[in-house]
Amino acid sequence: MAKITVDGTEYETQEGRTILQALDELGILMNGVDIPHYCWHPKLSIDGSCRLCQVEIEGVPKLQIACNTPIKDGMEIRTQTAPVKEAREGVMELLLVNHPLDCPICDQAGECKLQDYAFEYGVEHSRSREPRRAGKKNVDFGPTITFDQERCILCRRCVRFCREVPGTGEIGVFGRGDHSALETFPGLELDNPYSMNVADICPVGALTTKDFRFKIRVWFLEDVPGICTGCSKGCNVWLGTANNKVYRYVPRRNDAVNETWVCDDGRMSYRHIGSADRLDRAMVRGELGVLEVTSVDDAVAAASERLRALVDAKGPGVVGAVASGHGTNEDLEAFVRLLDGLGVENRGLATVQGESDELLVQAEKAANGEGARKLGFGDAAGVLDRLNTGGLEALVVMGHDLLDAQHLGGIEGLERLDTLIVLDSHHSALERVAHVVLPARHAAEKAGHFTNHEGIVQAVAPAVEPAGEAVPEAEAFDRLAAALGVAGEDAA
Amino acid sequence: MVISEEARAAIDGEIARYPRKRGALLPALHLVQKELGHLSPEATREVAEIFELRPVEVMEVISFYNMFHARAGGRHHVYVCTNLPCSLRGARGLLKSLEAHLGIEAGETTSDGRITLDHEECLGACGYAPMLRVDETYHEDLDEARAKEILDALE
Ligand code: SF4
Ligand code: SF4
Ligand code: FES
Repeated sequence: MAKITVDGTEYETQEGRTILQALDELGILMNGVDIPHYCWHPKLSIDGSCRLCQVEIEGVPKLQIACNTPIKDGMEIRTQTAPVKEAREGVMELLLVNHPLDCPICDQAGECKLQDYAFEYGVEHSRSREPRRAGKKNVDFGPTITFDQERCILCRRCVRFCREVPGTGEIGVFGRGDHSALETFPGLELDNPYSMNVADICPVGALTTKDFRFKIRVWFLEDVPGICTGCSKGCNVWLGTANNKVYRYVPRRNDAVNETWVCDDGRMSYRHIGSADRLDRAMVRGELGVLEVTSVDDAVAAASERLRALVDAKGPGVVGAVASGHGTNEDLEAFVRLLDGLGVENRGLATVQGESDELLVQAEKAANGEGARKLGFGDAAGVLDRLNTGGLEALVVMGHDLLDAQHLGGIEGLERLDTLIVLDSHHSALERVAHVVLPARHAAEKAGHFTNHEGIVQAVAPAVEPAGEAVPEAEAFDRLAAALGVAGEDAA
Repeated sequence: MVISEEARAAIDGEIARYPRKRGALLPALHLVQKELGHLSPEATREVAEIFELRPVEVMEVISFYNMFHARAGGRHHVYVCTNLPCSLRGARGLLKSLEAHLGIEAGETTSDGRITLDHEECLGACGYAPMLRVDETYHEDLDEARAKEILDALE
């Protein structure tokens, strides 16, 4: 333990950390204690290149950089004195000497640390009369990222990220002094499964993602906390929303889950939220044998009639249930209530297994497979065996992961069913054989909880309005249970 | 493989002289450049492999030092020092006149592949400014006429 004093307030911290690391750990960096910094990042190695984080330390004649100065017991640190302010102004002035100041056409404007710090810690006027160093604009760095050399302040965050996090190391700072410039190795592209994180950690508008570039000004976005549902990691993200639309995911720091990163595939999965293939209306197969759009109420009634008739005639043994790892714990609990009420034992979980890596990406491509397993949904294989051996006449299915080659591989076998009830957020081939289809909400459209692969339970709240008439699966199941007369006391 | 076995053996010899492997990176790059004339991306990759570094890290070193060339140059490299003492003694004017004489700009190579001309930071010959270096040889106390003679004599 070490005691340090920052601007007169005493804090207890662990030895073996630098000043910025200790303040970050205490949760007070830029949140009570203002030490502006560019090159330091909590999850990257220390660079000490930007010199903005200088502070005064009692007994030390010169200012020291807080990012790379280890704390000592009894250290007295001052962050707001005249020499510190003067040093910050000097650094800001130098950083701006060659900056193009093209904020009006820069996508970073509004979330740019150069703007923020210039405003907060800089001087109003430039004394420089020399021409600014011209650099390359709009450099194609790879499939996901565009680079603007003039805006780069050479903090090397992106360089360290590529070397230390994905370990790919595609970029470096080449040249020396005022010829230094960020470049990719000749013939290499910035192309790795985590490449887009460089745009988040770049403090300026030098690295921007091709996907988000010029889509909307960031000050129109409202950032809503949420979870990526791309895999069972459940990375924490901010959903950038405006006009009832999600424009992007950016990582939200959670040291227990995703630190400060998300994978590129997960980041791009925001596009599923308002996509054209959303299932947004209820449908029931009519007398002509085609699915007809109807109200959720009518669809629930139709589903309940079919299930009731079957269960009354043949018992719940002919009914099967396939849960999805895309539902919230609340959705899955409601499913369990319904199935318990009906006495349905044939339950399983269908998720898709894909690639995984050492960093974040998990093999299970659903956010809540673990939650479903904890609620008693085992592998769907048992249910599917029963289906294939003709033991099932009805199936209630959440989502369409069931269609994946790892499970059914298609709709064969499902045509034989007397009743197929599907709750899904997106269209799928299941609709070719389903009798009742209920539109489900995306995770961004509902409240609830997901349990990640390590058992960490995380909450989501609605960020946008639901697509069409989509309902949370929990609500659909509870309405179905009520219609079937099997709703318990705690159900709606 | 673009780096020869002999050069690799020489690099191993250099590595043996340093407590940490990467300490020998600069001598190794000199050896490779001497053999190949310049440090191409392929050569850079091979050096990186020898030193267990990423190619991009080796490239950062190569690009930091003026005496390393990432691109193929002419048969002769001519460096004109334009650091302060030489500039006070007319080095910038000298460089301009050599550019005009060869019809290229600093950093470029003559179309016959004879000379690559470049400016250089301090070459440690301030007492004899202005000066230039042709490959490994220093020419000091120059004036424009003498400098042009030196260049014209290059094969
Ligand atoms: S591109 Fe951005 S993150 Fe990379 S060195 Fe430049 S300013 Fe820093
Ligand atoms: S690792 Fe998984 S949860 Fe995290 S961003 Fe990628 S897909 Fe989403
Ligand atoms: S944050 Fe300390 S030098 Fe950049």
